[in-house]
Amino acid sequence: MTGLRAVFSREIASFFRTPIGWVVIALHTALSGVVFAFLVLEPGDPASLRPFFGLAGWLLLFVAPAVSMRLVSDELRSGTIEPLLTAPISDWLVIAGKYAAAVTFLILMLAPTLVYVAVLEVFSEPDYGPIAAGYLGLLLSGALYLAAGILFSALTSSQTLAFLGTLFTMLLARMVTTDALASRAPGAVAGWLYAVSIDRRLADFSRGVIDTADAAFFVLAAIWFVTLAGVALQSRRWR
Amino acid sequence: MIEANGLHKRFGAVHAVRGASFTIEKGQAVGLLGPNGAGKTTTIRMLVGSLPPDSGTVRIDGLDTLGRSLDARRRIGYLPESTPLYPEMTVAGLLRHRAMLFGVARRDRRAAIDRAIDRCALRGMRARRVGTLSKGYRQRVGLAAAILHNPPAILLDEPTNGLDPTQITEMRRLMRDLAAEHALVISSHILGEIEKTCDRVIVLASGVVRADAPVGDLARATGAATRCVLEAALSDADRAAGFIAALRDIPAVTGVQTEDLGGGWRRVSVSAEPGARGLAEVVGSIALNRGVSLRRLADETPTLERVFLGLVARAEPAP
Repeated sequence: MTGLRAVFSREIASFFRTPIGWVVIALHTALSGVVFAFLVLEPGDPASLRPFFGLAGWLLLFVAPAVSMRLVSDELRSGTIEPLLTAPISDWLVIAGKYAAAVTFLILMLAPTLVYVAVLEVFSEPDYGPIAAGYLGLLLSGALYLAAGILFSALTSSQTLAFLGTLFTMLLARMVTTDALASRAPGAVAGWLYAVSIDRRLADFSRGVIDTADAAFFVLAAIWFVTLAGVALQSRRWR
Repeated sequence: MIEANGLHKRFGAVHAVRGASFTIEKGQAVGLLGPNGAGKTTTIRMLVGSLPPDSGTVRIDGLDTLGRSLDARRRIGYLPESTPLYPEMTVAGLLRHRAMLFGVARRDRRAAIDRAIDRCALRGMRARRVGTLSKGYRQRVGLAAAILHNPPAILLDEPTNGLDPTQITEMRRLMRDLAAEHALVISSHILGEIEKTCDRVIVLASGVVRADAPVGDLARATGAATRCVLEAALSDADRAAGFIAALRDIPAVTGVQTEDLGGGWRRVSVSAEPGARGLAEVVGSIALNRGVSLRRLADETPTLERVFLGLVARAEPAP
């Protein structure tokens, strides 16, 4: 387990020792602040963060790949993967440690937005149920994007490619499963698209509905991508 | 400590390593010598388990690097070719990270890091970021990271590449220290490097082990003949015939050739079996006894350098 901790703590520390961690947090906080100020703080509106969760969900789609792109790609490019893969730690734990670090970073990145909850509390009486559900939805969908991100990162030594691959795949997955597009597909396909719809599930969360099936979908999909990332890293040994 | 058995590795059409086998014991410093592209890095990467061989096995301390990969890796200290290190970490932070990765117990961690820092002369550098260090210091940090967990087998891929002469001397001193208590493998394309730090040399060319011998015995092990050349005043035919017959009678001599240089001088080349010692002395004393005057007497046994070049030239290029 010390091996896993070694990978995890190095990864977390490197987010903050390199500019990328701070830049990502600053950008995310600034953009979500704009969303909050213009969409949520409307006099007379109910004290709810629903508009914020809707846009923050889309924002994450762009921010998460920026967090995950360097996880493995950077080590592949600089060659530091070599001493890591010859250390007595399994490839699975390397991926697990890095992924856990990325999810932890996501939580740290979302933490400043809790200020908005405090602001709502000052001016009115927010309903905490939907807010908690909304945050859970952000966290779960972010965890899914990061899982896809670590897979793309393990596939290429180019961070740009890892970023674009993750962004386009997730963007495509979200777009074709929106109600507007999925409803145009032939019956069977539409049903299938509807089943894997990220949007629909996120809408549930932001309405304050915590459905176990929705949560399980995100968790399983994330596990699936992280496992594939482990396979991708392991297959590097055979080339 | 390190046993390689029939290692093969292909990269597409290139057969990079073709059947390398050798055993390296504790306390031995072995140089893996070969020109660029000979398969040194591929061999080392198979030894440390970062690249699985197409066929053949590697055992570290009796543990198969594929079958018991994690246990084998714990016994290996490895410095890859370009010393890849995380640039944003401090020297002490990087060593702590490596100590954790290698499962050095928390209570032993500080002592292990201090020892590695002392050995590699990094005392003033603890708090420095790795990315701001000079190449020589980075190399030392890489070495400190490799020996941190006190592994019985240490493998260094081109450890002196890109260092200045002072740094090279430092590095050699360090490597000689390490050789005393570990099985040490150093790869290099520079013969002088291996000669100064290793007791044994394995010559690799086009993926094939061309020679495996103690550094001093490389010439004999590769069958390079001992040779000595003299230029003697031999205008008298009888005297010349007697002298040459006497040379042929020296034990171990395998052939004598002569060549007329004009003016009564002849060049005589004496070849003897590989490893024959003191040939020039014997030849000189025969000339003295017979009153043959000499103007030149030279030991032309090939130097290590020439033996090495010969070995490498003989190797056919990889298909």
